[in-house]
Order: sequence, then structure tokens, then C-alpha cells
Amino acid sequence: MRDLLLGLALLLTLSTQGSLAIAEETTAVGGAEASGVAAVEAGDGNEVDADLDADLFGEPELVVADPFEGMNRAVFAFNDKLYFYVLKPVARVFRIVPEPVRVSVGNFFSNLAAPVRVVNNTLQGKIGPAGGELMRFIVNSTVGIGGLFDPATRYAAIPKSNEDFGQTLGRYGIGSGPYLVLPLVGPSSARDGVGWAVDLFLDPLPYLTSGVEYWAAKGTSTVNTVSLDKDTYEGIKRDALDPYLFVRNAYAQHRTGKIER
Amino acid sequence: MLVLKATRNDRRHGRRLGFLRSSGVTSVGRGGLISPSAARWHGRVTGRGAAITSLVSLLMTVWLASGATAGAASAGPLGQVQATVDAILVVLKDHQQEAQARRAAIRKLVHGRFDFRAMSQGTLATHWRKVSEAERDQFVELFADLLEASYMAKIETYTDERIEYVKERIDGAKATVDTRIVTQSVEIPIQYKLVDRAGDWRVYDVAIEDVSLVRNYRSTYGEILRRDGFDGLLEQMRTKLAELKKPAEDSGP
Repeated sequence: MRDLLLGLALLLTLSTQGSLAIAEETTAVGGAEASGVAAVEAGDGNEVDADLDADLFGEPELVVADPFEGMNRAVFAFNDKLYFYVLKPVARVFRIVPEPVRVSVGNFFSNLAAPVRVVNNTLQGKIGPAGGELMRFIVNSTVGIGGLFDPATRYAAIPKSNEDFGQTLGRYGIGSGPYLVLPLVGPSSARDGVGWAVDLFLDPLPYLTSGVEYWAAKGTSTVNTVSLDKDTYEGIKRDALDPYLFVRNAYAQHRTGKIER
Repeated sequence: MLVLKATRNDRRHGRRLGFLRSSGVTSVGRGGLISPSAARWHGRVTGRGAAITSLVSLLMTVWLASGATAGAASAGPLGQVQATVDAILVVLKDHQQEAQARRAAIRKLVHGRFDFRAMSQGTLATHWRKVSEAERDQFVELFADLLEASYMAKIETYTDERIEYVKERIDGAKATVDTRIVTQSVEIPIQYKLVDRAGDWRVYDVAIEDVSLVRNYRSTYGEILRRDGFDGLLEQMRTKLAELKKPAEDSGP
């Protein structure tokens, strides 16, 4: 009961903070400045297209509220070390397993997480996609031999609809809250962190396994995913002037895109 | 005469014929100018009226080839993006050339399709107006070099993933082209935003999985600008460029 009240209080805090969390430079201000100055700029060989002006200058900047930046950067650095010293070496060894097998393992765990997607699609009122995800689960579990293969995509062309509780909250207008970097999990936010916690109840894995088995399964799933990845994080570290800022912004854009879809 | 008639088979395979200006799903297959579907179509009808159908496919290939290489002004944004991508794939597959020559060729193709000045404007946003013309030129050059250093390596790791051109949407002088890269394990949606410069469509933003390049750089560089100022930003860009140009070492902690 107390946990429920705590959770409710947290949600209410997030919804009020929502408007502060993602600040948008009002398009009115940006637009006025852009068109006003554009008239002056036209003369100095600036070549700013009138068409692009709104796009390039008027578009509201996605400002991510990051009041815990110091702590977040510390956790980011921790996750970085964890990745290079623990996760990546293990994943490298795991690459001995042929890729098709690892793809199947990935399919298996993805299929198992179907209840999360079905419930969240339904909660968002997306009944069609919810039914689609249910169909995918049934088809892949039967024809796809326990979820190892993905005939639902290859042959039946049933579209995926990857929803989680963080997106559900976002759909209902709850702002993302302050940016948080969670240990092991990575970039998140107050809302998405809550969403992740709630989804743990929907995930069937804790109900099917217990204790050591559960962590072994989780570990395998993570290592498998990393082994299939083609050095995404290394690329970010290599190219970005500030990887922390890059990930923070990319995460915010990615989540906004997912919620809108 | 034969070429101008769009046959039933063409529509079934969703092949995009420029003069029809349709925009359905088009699966291009593994680069090159003849898609696998065209090859299959050709093979299937070889038994019947082989001479005529092979003549038709020859004429169509020539027509498509001239359209693609000329970067036909009649082609819309999707056609022009496809032409550039196809041309890059052709260069990538040419193992006769040296790596340096290949890079130079790809660089030329990319500069012909991307508008780095517009991308720089989008990245600096309101700061663009606050800096001098010389500083702007410096930034544009550094930015283009950084993007090239970052993405050239990624382009060169392309190995036969399938590229699908899903749709284009034109809104006056602006357009978006949706594409998809399909690999073994994932599908990555990539969206190009283009602007019409007298019939020549140029890319001013790329969004990979909903993450817009320009918005991301704007956010990151904006923070650095606030912290270290414009000169600090240029300095960090130069340092990063020097790092990237060093011979590749195994990236570690």
C-alpha cells in the first residue's frame, strides 16, 4: 500500500515537472528572430534559404533537463568501464557462437518479452498493434519453435510494435523528468526508469526462473545482444566531441520518436 | 514505344519508373543498376517471346542507367538519393581502385548530394548569426571533415545489406525520403531531409532511427559553445579531427 502511494506521488511529481523537463524555445520567438534577421542577412551573402530558415533556426531545441549532470557523468563513466572491462570481453568470447545461433537467441528473448508489448500497446489504446504483437507471439512460439525463429516477420509480415511502460506514460502526457543515467541499464529518465521498473512485473522471465537461473538468463541475453552489436558505443566514443552529451540528446530524440509512433 | 509502356510485371515488382512519378515501395537489392527483381522478371519471361522481352529489358536498363548517372533533373528527391547511393555502392565494389582513389570518388559524390553549409547552419543555429564569415567558413570546413572522418569508415564496412527506399514526401521546396537498411538482425530506418536547389535536391539532415544528426550536433555543440565559446569549439573539433585521422587503433577504455 505504501509502495503504491509512493509510486503515485512520484508519478504526480513527474507530470507537473513534465512541462519543465523538456523546454522548448517558443517557435514564436525563434520565428520572429529568424524572419526579422533573415531580411538583413540576405544582403551579406549568407545564402539562407527562406524555406530552410524555419527548419534550421526556428525549430525548437530539444533541451534535456539534467540537474544531476555530475552524478550522471559519474555513472556514465562507470558504465563505460563496465562495458570495456567486463561486457565487451565476454561478448567477444561469445562471438565464437555462429551468428545465426546468436540471432536465434536474441529472437527467443525478444519473443519471451511479448507480454510487455501486448499490455503496453493495449494501455495506449493501440488495439491493432496489440493484436499484432499477440499474433507474433503465437506464430513465433509455434511455427518459430519457441521463439527461436521469426516467421511472423519473414513470412507473415506482421509489423512489430515495440512499446514499454515508459512510452505508455509518455503517451499520457507525462514528461520525461530529469535525465538519469542508470548503472548497467544506461541512459534513462525519471519516467523511463519508473517504466522500466513496472515492466519488470510484466516480464515473464522472473516467473519462469528464479534466483541464479534468472540472472544467468538475463546475463546471457545482455551478452548476446552486445555480441551482435557492431561496435556502436565504440563509434560514439570515437566520433563525438562529448559522448555523454551525444548519448543524452540521442536518447531524448529516440524516445520522443518512439512515443509519437 | 516499347519502353514507354509500363508493363504489369513492372508494377508488380514495384519498380519505380521515373516518368510515372509513383512512390511505392521499391526494393533495390544489392546496389548496381539492375535489381534482383528485374533479373528474375527477365528470367521468367525468357521462354516466351524471348527476343522482344530481352530487347525491352536492354532498353530499360539503358534508360535507367542514363537516368541514374545523369542524376536526371526529372527524378525527384528519392530518385536522386537513390542515384547517389547506387553510385557510391558501385565505387565501393570496385576493388580495382586503391582505397585513396575510392575515398576521393566517394567524397566527391557525397559533396554533390549533401549541403554541408546548410547542415552547419542548422548545427550552429542562432550562433551562426553571431560569428563572422571567416569563422563560418572555418566551421563548415571542419564540420564537413569531421563528418567525413566519422562516416567514411562506416560506409566502407558496407557488406551487401539491403537498402530499401520506402517513400518520399515533397512539400514545396522541401522533401523527406524514407529508406531502410535491412541486416541479419535489425532494420534501421534512415530518413533524409532535402531542399530543392533549382531541381537539384540536396540533403541538409539525416535522421537515423528518429535521431536527427543536425539536432544532435546542435545540442552537443550548443552545450560546448556555452561552456567554451566558439574558439573552444573549433579547437576541440580540430583535436578530434587529428585523433580520427591517426591510423586506426583498437578502441579501448
